[in-house]
Amino acid sequence: MDPIERFKEVYEKRHEYAKDWKVKTGRKVVAYFCTYVPEEILYAAGVLPVRILGGHEPPHLAAPHMFDMWCPFSRDCLSQGLQGKYNYADGVMIAQSCLHPRQAFGAWQIHIPHEWDYFLCMPNAVRSPRAKPFLRGELAEFKKSVEEWLGKAITDKDLDQAIEVYNTNRYLMKQVYELRKLDNPPITGAEAMTMVVTSQLMDKREHNELLQQLVKELPNRKLDRETGIRLMIVGSEDDDHTFLEMVEKLNSTFVIEDHCTGSRYFWNEVISEKDRLQAIANRYCDRVPCPSKDWGPDDPSRLRFPHILNLAKEYKVQGAIVIQQKFCDPHEIDIPSLREFLEKNGIPTHFLEFEVTVPVGQFRIRVEAFLEQIRAEELFV
Amino acid sequence: MIAAGIDIGGKVAKAVIVEDGKVLGKAWNLTGINKAEAAERVYNEALRKAGLQRKDVERVVATGSGAKRVTFAQGTIADAAAAARGINRLYPNVRTVIDVGAEEGRAIKVSPEGRVLDFAINEKCAAGTGTFVEAMARALEVPIEEIGKLSLSSTQTIAMNAQCAVFGESEVVSLIHTKTPKPDIARAVHDAIAGRIGSVARIVGLEKDIALVGGVAKNIGFADSLKKDLKLDVLIPDEPEFVGALGTAAAAAAGVLEEEVRAKVLEKEKYAEGK
Amino acid sequence: MAETKYQTAGLKVWRKAKEIREKYYKDYAGAHDGRALRWGGGAWSFDAVPQALEGEIYPLTEEPYGASIGANPVFQVRCQEAAEGKGYARDLCAYMRGYWGSIIRDQYAFGGKWPKPDFIFQNHICCSHAKWLQVASELEGGIPYFCFDVGAGPYNKIGERQINYVVEQLYDGIEFLEKTTGRKIVDEKLIQNVYNTYISNSLWSKSCELNQNIPAPLDEKSMYSLYVLGTLQKSSKEVADFYKELYEETKERVANKIAAVGNEQCRIIGDSQPPWAFLRVLRYMEKYGVVSLGSLYTFSLIGWWRIDGKGNLVPYKTLEEQGIKIKDRDHALRLLTEGELKGKLMWAPFYGASLKNELVTKIASQWKIDAAMIHVNRGCEGTAQHQMEMKLALAKAGFPVMTYEGNMADEREFDEARTLRLMDLFLTETMGLKKLEW
Repeated sequence: MDPIERFKEVYEKRHEYAKDWKVKTGRKVVAYFCTYVPEEILYAAGVLPVRILGGHEPPHLAAPHMFDMWCPFSRDCLSQGLQGKYNYADGVMIAQSCLHPRQAFGAWQIHIPHEWDYFLCMPNAVRSPRAKPFLRGELAEFKKSVEEWLGKAITDKDLDQAIEVYNTNRYLMKQVYELRKLDNPPITGAEAMTMVVTSQLMDKREHNELLQQLVKELPNRKLDRETGIRLMIVGSEDDDHTFLEMVEKLNSTFVIEDHCTGSRYFWNEVISEKDRLQAIANRYCDRVPCPSKDWGPDDPSRLRFPHILNLAKEYKVQGAIVIQQKFCDPHEIDIPSLREFLEKNGIPTHFLEFEVTVPVGQFRIRVEAFLEQIRAEELFV
Repeated sequence: MIAAGIDIGGKVAKAVIVEDGKVLGKAWNLTGINKAEAAERVYNEALRKAGLQRKDVERVVATGSGAKRVTFAQGTIADAAAAARGINRLYPNVRTVIDVGAEEGRAIKVSPEGRVLDFAINEKCAAGTGTFVEAMARALEVPIEEIGKLSLSSTQTIAMNAQCAVFGESEVVSLIHTKTPKPDIARAVHDAIAGRIGSVARIVGLEKDIALVGGVAKNIGFADSLKKDLKLDVLIPDEPEFVGALGTAAAAAAGVLEEEVRAKVLEKEKYAEGK
Repeated sequence: MAETKYQTAGLKVWRKAKEIREKYYKDYAGAHDGRALRWGGGAWSFDAVPQALEGEIYPLTEEPYGASIGANPVFQVRCQEAAEGKGYARDLCAYMRGYWGSIIRDQYAFGGKWPKPDFIFQNHICCSHAKWLQVASELEGGIPYFCFDVGAGPYNKIGERQINYVVEQLYDGIEFLEKTTGRKIVDEKLIQNVYNTYISNSLWSKSCELNQNIPAPLDEKSMYSLYVLGTLQKSSKEVADFYKELYEETKERVANKIAAVGNEQCRIIGDSQPPWAFLRVLRYMEKYGVVSLGSLYTFSLIGWWRIDGKGNLVPYKTLEEQGIKIKDRDHALRLLTEGELKGKLMWAPFYGASLKNELVTKIASQWKIDAAMIHVNRGCEGTAQHQMEMKLALAKAGFPVMTYEGNMADEREFDEARTLRLMDLFLTETMGLKKLEW
């Protein structure tokens, strides 16, 4: 099957996929919030980690549990859970990062039946030398909890295999991303997003097979479209493919992004060490940070900004659409400085606020104007 | 005793006059800018219909956002209390009442005696009120009285966000531009508001029987969407917009504000004596 | 004045609390005049550490400063509009926007120009703290900055590993402080600061515990003027002594049955910060004989607690009461960290709704409440966590609960008239109370 079609299929029918996987393997599923969750350890235990995502529907069931001022994505996630969409998940967990999904997790723990749950104290001071040993300690306790739940030990061999599968997945997606640097990328932004999101939903061994096929086929793939203006999308969680597809119909292409259903999820691999847990801890501390962890300890600069600019340069980005989920504090604090930084470095930006559904028509008008602005500027360069 | 309840809502003023539980006369008027005048107008109209004069009415109590402007009222009660008492008069088995007016949507948990046990308000958000429906009807160029019926002939559901009225209106405009059939857009609007109100209702819990009152209850499209959202049947009284005024009249008749009335009288006397 | 059910009296320590607070803000602003240093950091910031630097040094904790801005609606709106003018979203922490606005406008909430801190020493628990000061540093053109993570886990899971994590960061912090200021940390000062920190936290909790009595000796509105000192500088002798004095006076009030609310007939708890510009809504509910006893927030923003063998919330003991003598710097840092991580139960909600619910239901039972009235505070996502779950948990435990939306420090988001209407509704209808005063 065509990998891109398969990604789309799993994206649309994610719950069926997970349920089938459970039946096929007889093993357990853990639904998780936040990409700081050390999936490798779950995978090493034979568990399928499935990222909890919203359904892009107004989160009707969340109101008694989460006040409206929390981000719509988090409330949508909770509402999906309360509707029973994740009933196949045996466990649920979160890694400490921003406050919004924590509300959803807290309510989930109380109201949605499950066998096992876990709050991993992912350190916030990821740049402090103290964070890595602390996280290693946290991971040791986490591993123990998983082992007790499942009634079997996670060996070093299990960890090695899981790390291998995860690193392969990251490496293969990076290879696909290399092709997005081309003047005419053989994959659209919407398709790339679907590829990354399905990595968060599928057994990565299976996902790797599809990626391997994709990496082989992509160089010969001819898209029946103009690349047009090369765009980047930066911001909060975003799997709004309706929006991406709309923008890409306007003679433009998203060639790269920085968000957690995109490159930020897989950009860094685990560098092997004898102490596997330390290796995993190092990866999660060193990965491209979420804004809530992008600080200090004795340096207030943000690491994300030069990283985003590098991506923009490598991918020959002409403009950046900066998005946030409504009420998303960590991104809101970064966005004014980020926009100033990008614009100072020659990357025009346009800001959009996302909700569970977006006013596609209005956004189209604004994006069209932004694209016009880029074209006009280029005329005078 | 003859008692009157005056409900000065954001858009519509209502008055109900009762005696021994029987409605002697009722009236409604657009509130307009001057709430005090609206109160006078609607009260006079209700008196006229009841064939009574002001001196025949022993107790007048007001409710609604303009309650304090009802200069001839002896006291006020909260909208939620009015709705709870009103629905309790009509349907004593109702335990959850959803009251959607022009400015506010609220859900109230009602005791068997008609007291408010818990409440949740759709605060700071127009997308869950009658005003939102009106704005959307204008955007669709459909008369407000017809938008409900129009939505019932929809053949597809479209998810629309209604946490934010501004976003919501943007989405309607987008749908118009993509040539989505009007019934479907109307349906989306009603589903969105129903989702919002349903969310508020879930905060107090959905204990049966459930009733829907207030001006927006007359919108058959909204009522249908709400039932679908709650997945429960919802009782809608005839003339749901009068339930608040009826409850207020009932409160007046029951002498609920005895203490307040007495205290205010004492205060006035003290003031008059220069203390 | 009509006779009330219980005797009332003003607090004797009231004036002193005001004086200490006024002096604090004056000292910070005037620090450079006397060649003293000044620094900015969070109210939870382990002020014991920078305050142990040799020489004179004055802090400004940013949350109480943000609250001071919030209490002044005119100034608050100007500050926040200034921040919004720079592109910062309106739903961000209200204290943060006020603070940034103060910098942007170069206006100190207590008069004169904004006094720029010499360095930043900040802790991080909510997802904004470190970033707040990141932006502040940017707005100021760069300030030496040190931030450490205290998100090491809930109070009931704190062991050596978690304490080590924070202590090691504090050592890094000391290195930063000494390098940045050219001054040394004086161990004797640090040790004394830690003793004082324990006293401040323990004695505040003990005073709050006395509100379990009927009638309650303290009301939440007054308590805000008292707890604030602990948020300013809990490591100072002055503040520690103040809390000792407050505790003695509160005990006296209990012994003489002096009530905070003369007509106390209904006891409630709240949650999160109040709307600072509208504290009068707390006075309003007193017309119904309602006394607001406090909340998890008021009791343990400063105020350390532990769960005893019977499962009750009891105040943390001072080091003197525990018979602990601080040996050296390391011992001081460990004790300080342990107290904050284990005792500051206000951090529990960061780790889950169940943790918050458990503590709140204990408070409800031990403080003998009749109901809860929750300020759903759009201005602070940290303290407003899990409020809807708290409502459900208390309702399940049989307590009537109302919520009202607002913002602790953004008056544009607080509808006073509507809030009072909702309070009337709740107190008359649900609680069946009558107004005792008009």
